[in-house]
Amino acid sequence: MTARDDLAASGAALVEDGQGGMRVTPPSVASLARAVAVVRAHALPLRVRGSGDAPANAPDGGVLLDLASLDRIASVDAATGIARVEAGCSVGALESAVRRAGCTLGPLLPSVRAGSVGAWLAGPTRGERGVAGARRETAALTVAAVLADGRIAEGRAAPAKAVGPALDHLTLGGGGRLSIVAAAWIRLFPATPQLCSVWICPDVAAALSAVELLCRQRLAPVRARIQGGAEGTRLALAWEGIESAAIDRDRAERALAGRHPREMDVPPKWVREGPDGHPVEVDARWASLRAWSPQGDLHLIGLHAGGAFGVLSLPEARGAEECAALARAAGARVIAPRRLRDNGPGWEAAGAGPAWARLAEALGVQP
Amino acid sequence: MWAVTGPLPSATARGKALQLEVSALGIAASCEGADLWAASRDASVAALPAKPRLALHPPDLVAWPEDVEQVAALVRLAQARGVPVVPMGAGTGGSGGAVALRGGIVIDTRRLTLPLNIDLPGNSVEVGAGLSGERLEERLAYAGATLGHLLPAQDPGTVGGWLATRGSGLLSARYGSLSDLVLSLEAVDGAGEILHTLDHPGAGPDLTQLLLGSEGTLAILTSARLRIWPRPRERWLRAVRFPSLRDALRGMRDVLRAGLQPCIVRAHDPLDTLLAGSAPFRIPQPLKWLVDGAQTEALRLTLRAPLLLNRLVDALPGASLALFGFEGAEEGDASREGRAALSICARSGGEDLGPAKAERWLDSAQRARWSHAPFLAAGAFVETLDVATTWERAEPLLRAIRRAVEGLAFVRAQFAHAAAEGCALEVKLLGLAGASADTLAHASFEEAEADLEEAEERREIVWAAALAAAADEGATISHHSGIGASRQVFLRRELGDGIRQLRALKKAFDPAGILNPGKVLL
Repeated sequence: MTARDDLAASGAALVEDGQGGMRVTPPSVASLARAVAVVRAHALPLRVRGSGDAPANAPDGGVLLDLASLDRIASVDAATGIARVEAGCSVGALESAVRRAGCTLGPLLPSVRAGSVGAWLAGPTRGERGVAGARRETAALTVAAVLADGRIAEGRAAPAKAVGPALDHLTLGGGGRLSIVAAAWIRLFPATPQLCSVWICPDVAAALSAVELLCRQRLAPVRARIQGGAEGTRLALAWEGIESAAIDRDRAERALAGRHPREMDVPPKWVREGPDGHPVEVDARWASLRAWSPQGDLHLIGLHAGGAFGVLSLPEARGAEECAALARAAGARVIAPRRLRDNGPGWEAAGAGPAWARLAEALGVQP
Repeated sequence: MWAVTGPLPSATARGKALQLEVSALGIAASCEGADLWAASRDASVAALPAKPRLALHPPDLVAWPEDVEQVAALVRLAQARGVPVVPMGAGTGGSGGAVALRGGIVIDTRRLTLPLNIDLPGNSVEVGAGLSGERLEERLAYAGATLGHLLPAQDPGTVGGWLATRGSGLLSARYGSLSDLVLSLEAVDGAGEILHTLDHPGAGPDLTQLLLGSEGTLAILTSARLRIWPRPRERWLRAVRFPSLRDALRGMRDVLRAGLQPCIVRAHDPLDTLLAGSAPFRIPQPLKWLVDGAQTEALRLTLRAPLLLNRLVDALPGASLALFGFEGAEEGDASREGRAALSICARSGGEDLGPAKAERWLDSAQRARWSHAPFLAAGAFVETLDVATTWERAEPLLRAIRRAVEGLAFVRAQFAHAAAEGCALEVKLLGLAGASADTLAHASFEEAEADLEEAEERREIVWAAALAAAADEGATISHHSGIGASRQVFLRRELGDGIRQLRALKKAFDPAGILNPGKVLL
């Protein structure tokens, strides 16, 4: 039996791709697991599309596993706020489905919205979002992951677990290197109207300090928009939550009273709009965001006590490269556009380089 | 007193040889019988009356390193000698996770109390793993901050113990579990390498979350940076009575789904509601005996018929008492959230009973107490489980556990550690184990030993039946207590093929297999 025969027997659709490679599209999680086992048995080079990576073609003589057909949304339970979904489902499609049930995934980076659930969870944000109390947590309550030998590891869906190391974290953020996300239980928020407040600050750094202050008092908004200008910097914050939005907004207004004047006639949708120009997406601490530029336009989500995800744009920048270079110089990690992405410090920086190599070997994958 | 004194463990040849080598490294160590005895157990022995007298699993040596380099030196020595290394903090764990099942070196972490750097502007604290949680919270309170990881006074534990088991405190609904509080870790892996995880990691699996909760099987945690918060100035507490447990769970869920951030959200099952004095009729006498445990013979008589008792509870009216708490930085903040919560609860039939019962519960949870003592003296066992699941499965989970053990033990339960997606179920199992303390006091050593063996078997059967029911129901078998030695049989059922990932992690971080062997299926 050739690898092609074995892959065909897995039930996946096969298409010749690249230099002797194959694009393999499994129609189900079981088929995906069988295909992965075949790839390993034949020691073929493997890339996964829809698992935190977006390769266009199969590697030479290898396999491109395309998760696009794993796009089923098995369930959306608005009462408990949990959706069960396959990894190839697009985040946009999932958001539409959960919206129909009165829920939302919450604010997400544009690159995340444009990708699949698998890419979101296995990608550089690990599926993290801001949650009440100025914390950030992954949207995945748990995941089903295909291991290199084709077996499927699936955790129990529970709000918290103390059952040894959190094995989901071998998959989350892993870019499909150690295991492949096949499906996930996703946490949902109730969809509610947002409540906004707007302030005028002297500069971008002062506006960021104001947002940081709120986050450190557990009053993180779901979104922040900061736009520098000649006549001052506009800071718009939005809160969501059936009961909490009004309470948190009032507290925030109280916390910032006397620091910055309020602006009353800003359309609420302004805070939702992303910056113009050539934006880059970053994961950054507050100090990095402050050091980035005195004049930029920032859209922040996933805000927590330590920092935020940001969509950053500089009106005067010639392109995303310049914007990204400034962000990088300030200590931020660039997430998108993909060509500019920083992997950031890995396990080597933690002193765990040898452990990483041993882990890859034990899991039967390339280090 | 019923406990029969047993001999202290003796120093082994291996222990004596190790002591010479460890002392040469400048690290305090002992193989004295009293030290070995103290390191031979954790709080899991408290479930039965006679166990405390036994030196269950004495190590060969106890060492007290004072910094991460000394821990690394100990691990390298242990690796060279092929000796197990078991980290132990305050020994308050209830799953046998810190017990040296295969001897070797117990690393007592309680001298790893440094650093202790409180960074108020940065909302973080850097703290040694050996510092007691109580002491840490005192220091934070003095600085106007809190970790929010409030634990019952009888088992405060060390920071390292919390991290190793991924603990959750009484206020976890607001502050989260340790996995939400930890920013980065310092640890020593099984190769003796010192690891410093990053609090803002780049792409790739989050090393902090993989080492957290590993119960000393992947690395020995020596310090951590944790998230802290401004200390609240106000706390608002309320008890709310719901027509049924289902209504109470719906009320809890809806409060959390509304985006409110209660610090306390918990519901009592109908029996505990009755015991809390929140039902409109008197408690049946057999249940009173069970609750106060004051009359030994009456208690023993009652526990002989657990099926009858459980059925009696099933027949009780189904009212459920729920407790809610909110905290605020400014006066009025907590009460505003509280009023919003009461309004949500009212939609599920929740009736505001005022603050007294909630205040009493919190006060009781924070006070050291030995409420198990009368039960143990009566020859009963008191075992607790903390399992967790999603909201829609919570009530069926309790029913399944009750069904599984109804002929063997009496079941009480509370739903706690609630989050937007689900909650933990804290189950107390009460059953007849063996002879009473008075009887054992007049028995021979051999008779007492035999009685203990039988008691242990009875307890094990009940424990296993309850955990198996939880696992079959799709729940996680530990919300915050860890796996240790006692729950690992059921871990395979929970993880399935995830066991392969677990074993790969072990090979990666502890290639020689010396770190806390025999725990968490590793």
